[in-house]
Amino acid sequence: MDGTVAAAMPVIEVEALEKRYGEVHAVRGVSFSIPAGSCTGLLGPNGAGKTTIMRMIMALVQPTAGALRLFGKPPSALGRSMRERVGLVPQEDNLDPDLSVRQNLEVYGRYFGLPARTIAERVPRLLAFMQLAERGGAKVMQLSGGMKRRLTIARALIADPELIILDEPTTGLDPQARVLIWRRLLDLKREGKTLLLTTHYMDEAQRLSDRIIIIDGGRILDEGAPKDLIARHVRGHVVEVAKPLPRGFSEDGLERNDIGDAVLYYANDPAEVTRRLPADAAYLRREANLEDVFLRLTGHSLRQGE
Amino acid sequence: MSARASLPAVNRYSQAVWRRNALVWRRLIGPSLTTNVLDPLIFLFAFGYGLGAVIDRVGGMSYLAFVVPGMMCYAAMFAASFESTISTYARFSLQRTWDAILATPVSLTELMLGEMSWAATKGVFSASCVIVVGSLWGGVASPVGVLLALPALALGAICFACCGLAVTAQAKSWDIFAYFFTFWVTPMFMFSGTFFEVGRFPWFVQAIAWVLPMTHLIAVVRPLTAGVAVDPLAAAGHLLYVAALAAAAFSLARWRFGARLFG
Ligand SMILES: Nc1ncnc2c1ncn2[C@@H]1O[C@H](COP(=O)(O)OP(=O)(O)OP(=O)(O)O)[C@@H](O)[C@H]1O
Ligand SMILES: [Mg+2]
Repeated sequence: MDGTVAAAMPVIEVEALEKRYGEVHAVRGVSFSIPAGSCTGLLGPNGAGKTTIMRMIMALVQPTAGALRLFGKPPSALGRSMRERVGLVPQEDNLDPDLSVRQNLEVYGRYFGLPARTIAERVPRLLAFMQLAERGGAKVMQLSGGMKRRLTIARALIADPELIILDEPTTGLDPQARVLIWRRLLDLKREGKTLLLTTHYMDEAQRLSDRIIIIDGGRILDEGAPKDLIARHVRGHVVEVAKPLPRGFSEDGLERNDIGDAVLYYANDPAEVTRRLPADAAYLRREANLEDVFLRLTGHSLRQGE
Repeated sequence: MSARASLPAVNRYSQAVWRRNALVWRRLIGPSLTTNVLDPLIFLFAFGYGLGAVIDRVGGMSYLAFVVPGMMCYAAMFAASFESTISTYARFSLQRTWDAILATPVSLTELMLGEMSWAATKGVFSASCVIVVGSLWGGVASPVGVLLALPALALGAICFACCGLAVTAQAKSWDIFAYFFTFWVTPMFMFSGTFFEVGRFPWFVQAIAWVLPMTHLIAVVRPLTAGVAVDPLAAAGHLLYVAALAAAAFSLARWRFGARLFG
């Protein structure tokens, strides 16, 4: 993150935010702030509380405790104008199945109180931006998963929002579809929009985000620029050794992370690990990435009930 | 349109919701018009040859003049009730349409007003079809009266829509709507004076009948369309009851939906 972005007014400020659903303590005191014009990736395993945090920011879920400010004010003080400045791409598809692709955008524009002229001018532009121009007359049900996702993003942009909240915008999409969405999100960032994004794809988070917040069990584990997180939690390289570990291999003094069927060793110089391995041992050597940070911080095993 | 615009709370945001439903319905206008015209025709044909032959005069008027206003109210009640329950619940739960709308500047109250006014519109539409068919069949004695009955029918449709929303706000699954039809729609069909005079029933049935908004609506609409003298004070009382029930049901629905959606 460079100085100008850090100095900009925060678009979202969250302080000790908590949410309980009965017995379930979904969010347990989360604080962060998101500067204007940045892209922040909110990462965490299933059930970590990402969607709940986003819904609280959108005032779709009432926080149990804590403070929240959007554009410098509590959502209650902003009222309707808050919604006019934020676009949401929800995790679960809620496009209007009774309407065509184009109508989905037109009708959504009316929910924002936009004049007919503005809607007529924006809809074709958004369809083109999301490469849906040819499918304007199609029924939502006739769209592929990737097209639906693109339409949902186009819909979130109808009121030209300053802040765009995207809950897993590319889950379930093929690589081409993901690349297209990445390009569009980077375009939006270049236009000066603020993005808050969740994803389970670490390459996506690393590519798009200026800053990453990793949460688990409703708490923030760490946050920072991708490269800082990598430097902080995993050394430069990873050596992955399959189980069972070779006989006579000594792990003494190595940083390790057991991921089930293999063990990851983190080292500044991969030779620190490889020279301890027998000559015929099979291993994988690569540069450390965000995935390693994620696995390191959140552990590898699936939590109960997921 | 002007009726909607004149209601202060029904602003452009609830109109956007109304227009969404109207847009979807536009494609179905053919089948909808057909059934809304055919239904009363079949009724009138069957009753004309069936009951009409047996019953000569009811409440000082021909059976045809008696039953046509009952059918108008019934049409308004059924259409508004169906739209505000089954159809609204589909948009609320199955299609997640409400979820999508609530992420926009449309507030929950505005969304509910949009749904409610749309359900009421469908009620008025159905009732209007009965008015046309009934008039051509000769079941409307007073053309002026039927014009005066129209706002009353609209108020009734609003009330039925609000009551439907109050039930939808409680719904955790589709099951509740079976009870809604058994304990709400059917009694209004049978006991509110659609086909028989309320006074023919035993006192406890009459007591229940006068709780139902349909009974009050018919009590206002029937003398109007039949061209019988209307007691303005009694009519005002009936309409006030319908309006009060509408407001109470809407408030209950708002409170329940609010607790469910943002809890
Ligand atoms: N409406 C709700 N009622 C009860 N519990 C809920 C509700 N919504 C979420 N939870 C619980 O809150 C916790 C956090 O859920 P949330 O959807 O925020 O996780 P997430 O990080 O978005 O997960 P995923 O990656 O699977 O989307 C989970 O334990 C979930 O079961
Ligand atoms: Mg989620």
